[in-house]
Amino acid sequence: MTYIVLECHSSYAVLLDEEGRFWKAANLQYSVGQTVTDPFLMRETREKPTPVMRRLGAVVMAAAACLLVFFGSRYYYTNVQSYTSIYLSINPEVQIELNRQGEVVRLHGENADGEALLAGYDGRGKDKVTVADELIDRAIDMGFLSDGGEVSFYIDAPDEAIFRDYGVELRTAITEHLDGRITIVIEITNTRTSETPSDSTPDQTTAASAQSTTNAPQSAGTQNQTAAQSQDEPGQNTSPPQTAAPAPETQTPATQPPQTAAQTGGRTDYGDDDWDDNDDDDDANDENDDWDDDNDDWNDDDDDREEDDD
Amino acid sequence: MHLENDILHEVEAAKESDRAADRLIQAYLPFIKAETAKFLRRPPIEGQDDELSIALMAFHEAIHGYSRLRGAFLRYAAMLIRSRLIDYSRREKKHSGVLSIDAKDREEEQSLAETLSSPEDFAESGALREATRQEIEELRQQMEDFGVSLSDVADNCPKQRRTLDACRKALSYAHDHSELMEEFLRTKRLPLTALSEGSGAERKTLERHRKYLVALLLIHTNGYEIIRGHIKQVLKGGEAQ
Repeated sequence: MTYIVLECHSSYAVLLDEEGRFWKAANLQYSVGQTVTDPFLMRETREKPTPVMRRLGAVVMAAAACLLVFFGSRYYYTNVQSYTSIYLSINPEVQIELNRQGEVVRLHGENADGEALLAGYDGRGKDKVTVADELIDRAIDMGFLSDGGEVSFYIDAPDEAIFRDYGVELRTAITEHLDGRITIVIEITNTRTSETPSDSTPDQTTAASAQSTTNAPQSAGTQNQTAAQSQDEPGQNTSPPQTAAPAPETQTPATQPPQTAAQTGGRTDYGDDDWDDNDDDDDANDENDDWDDDNDDWNDDDDDREEDDD
Repeated sequence: MHLENDILHEVEAAKESDRAADRLIQAYLPFIKAETAKFLRRPPIEGQDDELSIALMAFHEAIHGYSRLRGAFLRYAAMLIRSRLIDYSRREKKHSGVLSIDAKDREEEQSLAETLSSPEDFAESGALREATRQEIEELRQQMEDFGVSLSDVADNCPKQRRTLDACRKALSYAHDHSELMEEFLRTKRLPLTALSEGSGAERKTLERHRKYLVALLLIHTNGYEIIRGHIKQVLKGGEAQ
């Protein structure tokens, strides 16, 4: 193949081959009109435009990957990761791990009876109250819990509000669930308080109506007493459970769930403390009102300026 | 950072204009020589070392092939220069012991072909070259009237066989229909619709290689016998012997 040199530049030459193709090549001391046979042709290094769809596809894939990571991590953080633990203590000891939604993510038997209680049971994905009701039913069916028995919930929650909400919820629901069936004592304890056993007086509720008839089978000698329970208390700084005997209501420390009267069908009354908390909110609202007032003053200034413009 | 931005502006300007490209190359000639020297392990000699010409061509390639995604321009250019020098070196090794007939004698500044030829042949070849040069100059000027440069045509020329054949078909159709050529010379515009419909080539293909078609049609008007003789196979649609 021969080439005619058509044009010479400092950094390249333009050649014409015998097939009518024009080329840029290294200018190896060429002169215009010269015929050459062995040029060093320039390569096509232009960045070829990526097809729009391929580029779009890459962007979509990258965005999808980011979203997957983001929502995946959010999902894990919200739904899978353990956020609160509730230790159900009858005599079987069971740890119930909850996610941020209050749904059960894991169940552990903390002792042999606990493992027996959980055998064949899958409470994952269910609400804590549902699981608590079902485990109590299983405990009754398996003879772990009977009339006069005690159920303790030790709640290990990251903040007071969650402990309080969960405690009220459990107490209310279980009372209703067992209404007319058996009489038990429900105990709710915050595992994170540093109260000594003498100081802490966890709430006690008699979760029963005046009726004492039981629907669940009872087996003799299976009533669990507090002595047995206190041996396996989970968590730190836990208050040892009180006696199972129904006791008059005791004063509730501020960190405890509100006291319950449980006089009528196991319903839980809200204590005054709750209303006190609401007062704090009122104060916050008042501050907001002040801020609004400040805004009004600012608005007034604007009006003044408008008048000046006129 | 400021220097890098300046270079980027100059590179972008050089992509659009041959003059700007030449200015940029001249400005960075010391850089190009330095990169060549790294390869040769000695300073290159202008007018003598082909490697310097290769490096200059590679720098030109870098200007047109550069985008910010490739990183710093000078680093990219250095990489390309080295790459091309290696290619050249390998090619020369293949042909080692074989002297190019076009190679110029350093003292006489004549190519080997010219040295080997008889005085009569030399005079004829000299005249031929001069005639060729004049034809090329005329073609270049006429192409300017159409807003096309030889460099543009080289950039716009189809490289794939299929596309080249499509352009040849269009040329052949125009050649057979003189009214189209007259219209082309008069309006200084390509009759793309007529060429596409008549030759069967896709209009989009012809549009994409418009500048090349302008050069091809002009070469096949009167006055460019030498150049036309060089590409004698084009109209016939066959490959060069």
